[in-house]
Amino acid sequence: MAEEKYPINIWVNEERFEKLQKAGLADMCEEMLAGLKVIRVYCNEAQKDKILKTFPTAKFDSATTKSIELLPREVKDKIFDKIVEKQSIDIMDDFLSQY
Amino acid sequence: MAEIGHGGKEIVERILEPTEAAEKIKGLTAIPIRSQIANEVIDLAYGFFTPLEGFMGKEDLDSVCKKMRLADGTIWSIPILFDLSEQEIADYGIKVGDTVLLTYQNNPMAIFEISEIYDYDKRAMCQAVFGTDEEKHPGCARTYAYKDKFLAGKITLVNRPKINPPFDPYFLPPLEMRRKFKEKGWVRIVAHQTRNVPHTGHEWLMKGAWFQTYAELPIEKPLVGVLVNAIIGEKRKGDYIDEAIILCQDQLRKSGYFGDHNHLTSLTFWDMRYAGPREAVFHAILRTNLGLTHHMYGRDHAGVGTYYGPYDAHRLLATVQDEINITPVYSMNWLYCPHCAEITSEGLCNHRDEWQKFSGTVIRSIVQDGVKPPRLIFRPEVFDLVMECAEKYGFGSPFVTDEYLEKRTPVFTIPPLSA
Repeated sequence: MAEEKYPINIWVNEERFEKLQKAGLADMCEEMLAGLKVIRVYCNEAQKDKILKTFPTAKFDSATTKSIELLPREVKDKIFDKIVEKQSIDIMDDFLSQY
Repeated sequence: MAEIGHGGKEIVERILEPTEAAEKIKGLTAIPIRSQIANEVIDLAYGFFTPLEGFMGKEDLDSVCKKMRLADGTIWSIPILFDLSEQEIADYGIKVGDTVLLTYQNNPMAIFEISEIYDYDKRAMCQAVFGTDEEKHPGCARTYAYKDKFLAGKITLVNRPKINPPFDPYFLPPLEMRRKFKEKGWVRIVAHQTRNVPHTGHEWLMKGAWFQTYAELPIEKPLVGVLVNAIIGEKRKGDYIDEAIILCQDQLRKSGYFGDHNHLTSLTFWDMRYAGPREAVFHAILRTNLGLTHHMYGRDHAGVGTYYGPYDAHRLLATVQDEINITPVYSMNWLYCPHCAEITSEGLCNHRDEWQKFSGTVIRSIVQDGVKPPRLIFRPEVFDLVMECAEKYGFGSPFVTDEYLEKRTPVFTIPPLSA
């Protein structure tokens, strides 16, 4: 059975979109909820647990969206910067190695 | 005409006029209380908790735990308790038969006629009420935090709370609320329980419940209202600030998504226990006393984590339906379907593979990321007001921070007693 994956939604505000455009990565965005731009970074079970432990304000929305939400904005900025740097959304191991 | 509340008992406000109050409190031992107890004192005195007139004794508590009923057989699901330590009881010199003065914010609040002092196994209480004794359950944590003795007895308010702006128009105790419903001509009113700023999923929950409640009634004039009853109690960091919750709920009416003819926002002081099914029954009782005829229940009402199944509350309500004087209105989730390009119900739309579900948590996450959600998901008037509340009341944040907890204006204050 495929391993369960849990997304972190990086909602793309104007500032983030500008950075993506500059890096030629605007295509990375998906569109959700009637026009919101989002980049979805996926975690496995162990990464999800580490995120929730490292950032106590974060919440796993188990009832509705099965996504990891409410990470502090500065943490999401760091994840976002890592995506731009690596030009990939496969960055969670790298990101979490700092913690 | 008497207003009849839960258990068939008349709703009576247990509140003294200032001159009488000043006289009655003379010489009484003063006991400061914490915010949870102050909230419950208000609820008891204004009749939100009818038929209770005070904090529970052991017989009621035991019966609530074991049978979900008061000792006289009336349905009741959550213990309402006043706790002190043995040391405090000794230090205050309190004994059964005494009357003491409860103070809050250093001012006189209520008279407490102590009829019983007892203890109770907290772990057994947790297991009975919450279905678990795990300390990480917030209701259990609150129960374990009680001191070792419980005091029972009637409560009489000696000093009305001053509800501070912007909350003042929203405090409508049972008798006043019932008058309001009569003025509006509503014959059915459905409760929307909330601790959230509304997104369009919430808006459609209310609209769906309004349709369900309207049912066979004639439509020549408005006969059905939605009452948003926001629960105001202890805040946790990361929650929306109280001001944003209450004002944004009302904004849906002010911006025309509802109107005066079908929507009213109010608040009740209560520290959530997250007791899931039992809390659902408790909410039914509370809203019966407020004069409502119907109550919305969605998935996992008042639950937390994975302690309760999504429809456990519905099943428990069904077992007591004949004994509670309110009709449950069960709501399916509302979601965004890009194919329909609208908010729709999971019970209606069949583009299942395309559904985009959203929750209050997701919306908070979007706002936190500095993004304005589309109007189909979050009304622009509500978003703008959230941001205004952040500046005006939240020290720059729409979410509870340490600074907010430290510096906010309390929702109510107890003023000095003026005879």
